[in-house]
Amino acid sequence: MPKLPTSGLQVLRRPTLNITPSTVSSPSASPLLPQTQLRHATFIPRHRRPYKFTQLVQLSDGSTYTVRTTSPVAFHKSAKDTRNHILWQPTDRSLRNVEVDEAGKLAAFRERYGRGWDAEEPAADAAPAEAAAEAKKEDDPFDSLVGLISDFAAGTTNNTAGGLSAKEQAKKDKGGKKK
Amino acid sequence: MASVRALSRPTRGLPLSQISRQTSASVRRWASSQAAEAPLEDLEDSALGAPPLSEEEKKTFRPWKRQADRKFALPSGRYNYHAPKYDRGPLHPVQPLPSSEPTARDFVPGPFNLPRLRQTYLSTVASDIMTLTYSHIPPGTPKKEAPQRLREWDDSSPYHKNRSLRAPRGAPVLPLIERDINFTNIPEIKEITLAAYVPAALQDMDNLLVARAALLAITGVLPEMTKTKTNVQQWKIRAGEFAGCKVTMRGNEAYEFLDRCVNLVFPKIKDWRGIKASTGDSSGNLAWGFTPEELKLFPEMEVNMGMYPPKMVPGCRVYVKTTATSDRQARLLLQSMGLPFYGEVKN
Repeated sequence: MPKLPTSGLQVLRRPTLNITPSTVSSPSASPLLPQTQLRHATFIPRHRRPYKFTQLVQLSDGSTYTVRTTSPVAFHKSAKDTRNHILWQPTDRSLRNVEVDEAGKLAAFRERYGRGWDAEEPAADAAPAEAAAEAKKEDDPFDSLVGLISDFAAGTTNNTAGGLSAKEQAKKDKGGKKK
Repeated sequence: MASVRALSRPTRGLPLSQISRQTSASVRRWASSQAAEAPLEDLEDSALGAPPLSEEEKKTFRPWKRQADRKFALPSGRYNYHAPKYDRGPLHPVQPLPSSEPTARDFVPGPFNLPRLRQTYLSTVASDIMTLTYSHIPPGTPKKEAPQRLREWDDSSPYHKNRSLRAPRGAPVLPLIERDINFTNIPEIKEITLAAYVPAALQDMDNLLVARAALLAITGVLPEMTKTKTNVQQWKIRAGEFAGCKVTMRGNEAYEFLDRCVNLVFPKIKDWRGIKASTGDSSGNLAWGFTPEELKLFPEMEVNMGMYPPKMVPGCRVYVKTTATSDRQARLLLQSMGLPFYGEVKN
């Protein structure tokens, strides 16, 4: 039987960073701080999320689609959405702000006072006028001629459409009464 | 022992010696010539074909006796595995499951749908943007070298050698350079963040609760609380107090939120002209705001308005972060998703 080596009786230790008197005496290492590497456990949280229902959404034109929402209502019918909004449907005539004049009161008003009190039209008229002005600047004689014609046409239409302004009309009426 | 598990319940109660006798009685050939004779035999290990128990065997079949004689408890029928609660580092023997695993603690099920807007994006918008922004560069055209925007060191000192370049004067961060859109970098929505600042919460915490509930209902994601950063004497604000909340949506949720904004909320706003075209941080992130009145137009809020005290409903800011490298491209993306812009364009 072979003899056991005497060295085997020694306690084998893993190398650790134990605090020895020499390290304590050194000014840099504090005895209160842990000398071994630490790896604290990181908590793995469960996700917190609300229950989501499947909802059927019906737009105003009747088209439907499903969404996942927190709203518990199974069916959402919208009254106003992109399908009946002028911003998204610029060509839809029914969405335009068209005045209804069944009694002819507006027409009567205009007959008397002209169109000076109308709300200002959006830039639809202004844009062609600007374009015409730009065309006029160019030195092509044909273009300048076209611009001239269009300018003239715009001017005439404005004159016919505008008639007398309301104030002028009122003055005129007053004058007539005085006479 | 797989065949033992497949045996019927009464047979399982028998002592092992009997089972082994039964299985050995029907000796099985594994040759392929037998397949034609018994075509279904390969499909399943059925116990139905086993011979019925004899009278003697029935007498010895006493499962209650076996249970009474058992010295130890069997494991319960439902073996519940609980994923580890803590991540103890890569060297620990107990490792947390990846979040894709259904038993993992941080597993999130889904996705449960493909949002309408995302379908539109994938099928139409992405390819349209790529096609419409294509600018042809003839092959062989020399590549334009991007100018160096970082400052170099004048080699006045020997220590300047191998130093990294310096940031430009005045700005520590370089602004993004717009990249041409090709099939690898078509802009898409990265995330949408909603942030509500509720200074009234400093006086009354209920304001914060209402703000949190409102954002939670609208987005479907739990908001996180934000704190004030600075002291402002005039506004009675102290630093480090809870005064707001924010939510970030990614992926499908972001697309559904944008879809809801565009289709259901914006059209309901009175005299709404669109989003100001001057928005943007010049690196492809656009933003707008909702007033309290506009926030109430969300269908999730409308459905139970009684839950929110009307004066406590907050307004919020919405930040849409895209992968576009310039506001121009981001605007193009959002416009194609149905978001109108108005006013002067800045960058």
